[in-house]
Amino acid sequence: MVQSSNGMGIRRRAVLGTLAAGATASVSGCLRRARSVAGWDSMEQVSLRIKTLPADSDPYALHAARMITSWYQAAGIDAQVVPVSEEELLRQVLLGNDFEIFLARSPTREQDPDILYGLLHSRFADTRGWQNPFGFADLDVDEWLEEQRRATGERRQDIVGDLLESSSRSQPFTVLCSADEIRAARRENYRNWYGASLHSTYGYLALERVSETGSTDDGSESEEATLRIVGTDRRPTENLNPLSVEHRRSGVLTGLLYDPIGYATSDGMSPWLAESWSFSDGDGGPEATVRLRPDRTWHDGEPLTAEDVAFTFAMLSDTTLGSSDDGTEDDETEADTQVPSPRFYGRSELVDEVTVTSDTVAVIQFTDCSPRVATRAFTVPILPKHVWEERTDRVSISGIEISDATEALVTNNIEPVGSGPLRFVQNTPRDSLVLEPFEDHFLADDSDERGIAQIGAPQFDRLELQIVGSDNAAVGVVADADADVTATPVGADTVPQIGRASDLELVVNRSTSPYLLGYNTQIPPLTNPRFRHALARLVDRSFLVSDVFNGYANPAVTLLDGTEWVPEDLRWDGDDPTTPFLGTDGELDIARVREEFRNAGFQYEDGVLVRGT
Amino acid sequence: MALVDVLLQVGLVVALGHLLAFLIVVGWDPRPTASDEPRLRYRLRRNLREVMPTLGVLAVVLTINKVVRDIGVELSWLLGVNLTRYIYLLESQFVAVLQSYANPLLTTYFGFVYIFGYTFLLTFPVLAYAVYERSQPLRVLLLTYILNYGIGVVCYVLVVAYGPRNYMPELVEPLLYTSWPQSQLLVAQVNVNTNVFPSLHTSLSATVALVAYRFRSIYPRWLPIATVLAVSIIISTMYLGIHWATDVVAGIIVAAASVELAVRIDDGRLAESVRRWRSRDSVSE
Repeated sequence: MVQSSNGMGIRRRAVLGTLAAGATASVSGCLRRARSVAGWDSMEQVSLRIKTLPADSDPYALHAARMITSWYQAAGIDAQVVPVSEEELLRQVLLGNDFEIFLARSPTREQDPDILYGLLHSRFADTRGWQNPFGFADLDVDEWLEEQRRATGERRQDIVGDLLESSSRSQPFTVLCSADEIRAARRENYRNWYGASLHSTYGYLALERVSETGSTDDGSESEEATLRIVGTDRRPTENLNPLSVEHRRSGVLTGLLYDPIGYATSDGMSPWLAESWSFSDGDGGPEATVRLRPDRTWHDGEPLTAEDVAFTFAMLSDTTLGSSDDGTEDDETEADTQVPSPRFYGRSELVDEVTVTSDTVAVIQFTDCSPRVATRAFTVPILPKHVWEERTDRVSISGIEISDATEALVTNNIEPVGSGPLRFVQNTPRDSLVLEPFEDHFLADDSDERGIAQIGAPQFDRLELQIVGSDNAAVGVVADADADVTATPVGADTVPQIGRASDLELVVNRSTSPYLLGYNTQIPPLTNPRFRHALARLVDRSFLVSDVFNGYANPAVTLLDGTEWVPEDLRWDGDDPTTPFLGTDGELDIARVREEFRNAGFQYEDGVLVRGT
Repeated sequence: MALVDVLLQVGLVVALGHLLAFLIVVGWDPRPTASDEPRLRYRLRRNLREVMPTLGVLAVVLTINKVVRDIGVELSWLLGVNLTRYIYLLESQFVAVLQSYANPLLTTYFGFVYIFGYTFLLTFPVLAYAVYERSQPLRVLLLTYILNYGIGVVCYVLVVAYGPRNYMPELVEPLLYTSWPQSQLLVAQVNVNTNVFPSLHTSLSATVALVAYRFRSIYPRWLPIATVLAVSIIISTMYLGIHWATDVVAGIIVAAASVELAVRIDDGRLAESVRRWRSRDSVSE
């Protein structure tokens, strides 16, 4: 008969038999033993999945991810790369929170320390979009993030230093490197390719047309000048919604369709849609009186007023605009959930309230922050109230609400009504997009004396975006004179192809949006900052830069690299100052790696990194 | 503009191929009879009339295929399984190893075969069987095409997978696109980069070769041509970094299944077994 000692192997009939035999004492002993064992589950190999873009969408991401997984594997981790399309990556990571690690370009080119507020503050841990996608929570970090908003001068510098140091130790994300943006441009129709800084929103506006006499095209075409750009990102041909986080990369095209109040230059914030603004002390924070340029209109001819500004900030903070409140019943339940914009909430939530005092004057009351931080809110796109106020309902199919999202977040917004220097003409999904200059824009208005330095009215009569499958094809299209420039940056492997063609110009811009490795800090073992710290030490950035990026990149340590904000001891000095590589020249020193992970509380079994589950 | 150029080139080369192959495989008029009637044209017209329903179905399937490939991308991200990393676990760097034998001559050959050879291989047997005395080979061929595309569409919706050139860009070069960038304009028109499993290039090529084998008595000279071309195309899909070996194996299975099914549908055996199965079902009830 069954003995009580061979615990787990008891069959049911045997148990019944034993019970029948009245051996209850031995059975209860066995169960007690099983219960004691239950707390001691077996160890399991640490496994990580890195989601990133396929080679067609990003020239470096997949290669970098594979190199990083090979380092992870050397450290005994079961690591794999999962390629997903760009739209899907953003949707899974930012909206669905369905990832362990992602590798992508950082979403912002801005280099004010306050970008970290949106990325890391724990109050956004459950907010969708680019607000804390890592689910990171650290009370000290929260405090510094709030303090740097208020502080100015050296004090802010110190706080930001503390903040950067703390986050580079706890590694909610690992900054890899900032890749140069490489483009192929044709010389024959436009010039000033270098001065135009095409990676910024208004780059295309700074291009200068080569006079018709030098043009090789036939006469009919030189009358109507078309700027033909070719890219690999097909999303703008299907969706032009500035709020749609999964469809936007740099936001250049929607940035040309929608005007912000101000735009960031190297010398600080410059007025754009606003004529001027002035700050005063308000109630609990600064107050800005914003004067809009007079007599401006939307692309559909409706007047643009301060009312639209007030509407925009309300909309970005809650795209339902509280509209579900006027439902007669259920006031307490879902009526109270707000649905902020996943793309601009980090900036728009700086604004407490907007009061409209006249058609062109809006008074903006900010939360507790310095005026310098407050101006960040001026860079959000201003939306026309008469179009967007009808988009506050939750998404429904045949009258049944199917999602928390509002119409404003899921509409493809075609055709878009903005106030920007370019206006929509037509689109062919997955194939092309045509824009044209907006003749009533202030840039085209000579009477507008407050012109914008270096940026004038567009010198083309039409902007045509063509979509192709890959970087090679894009450069090929420019080389064949079927386009003037590659709209999306291309990979370093196309440089020889560009260099060989005599009528092409190789345009290389330093980028300020580095590649990131973002961790989901709510999934074990990534919850453990020591583990993330050890992971970061498995990445050899110098090796990545030379091997994956062919040298067209610079290793980066923080998102603010290259600015004054980074303290001396956090700057790249040939290696990362806080998480130096555990090896040399891309080769891990396995003994040191194991020690690092053991110190973080992990164990090795037969060369495999394990943890209790 | 570049796309039009590519299309023109392909059209011209394939048309030339048809002419040449027609003379070799079919002969000007393989079975001249005593009658003065223009035999070829007569047979062509009669065959087309007889396979018209099948042709109609094929047109419908191709249209569905086109639509599904457009909206199917959205659908497959919603429903499908991302198989890429499992395929990689299965076969690792096989394609990279294959590409390590690359040289410019081979690249030119395989690039040519992948685009021109494939178009030719798919279209020529339609023409050749269309002028044959009976309409059966043509109908079987069209049925296999329908099945191939039908199975392909279902797989493409259910499976999301990127090819080797997208998954291991450092090891696998997109040889076709680097050697002939314009070709991508054409390929992008018919393909989405997440639709690699199974390889339709493989399944359709293998299908044509299998059908050529089945009807080898009709055009004995077509069998070796079709076989060499099909094998070349199948290798080219991997050599050019577009497909995994797994896709190719799956493609060959689809091909074999399609041909087997098509033959059964054509001779009524399938309908017969369905009827028998049904009647047995009703008896048992």
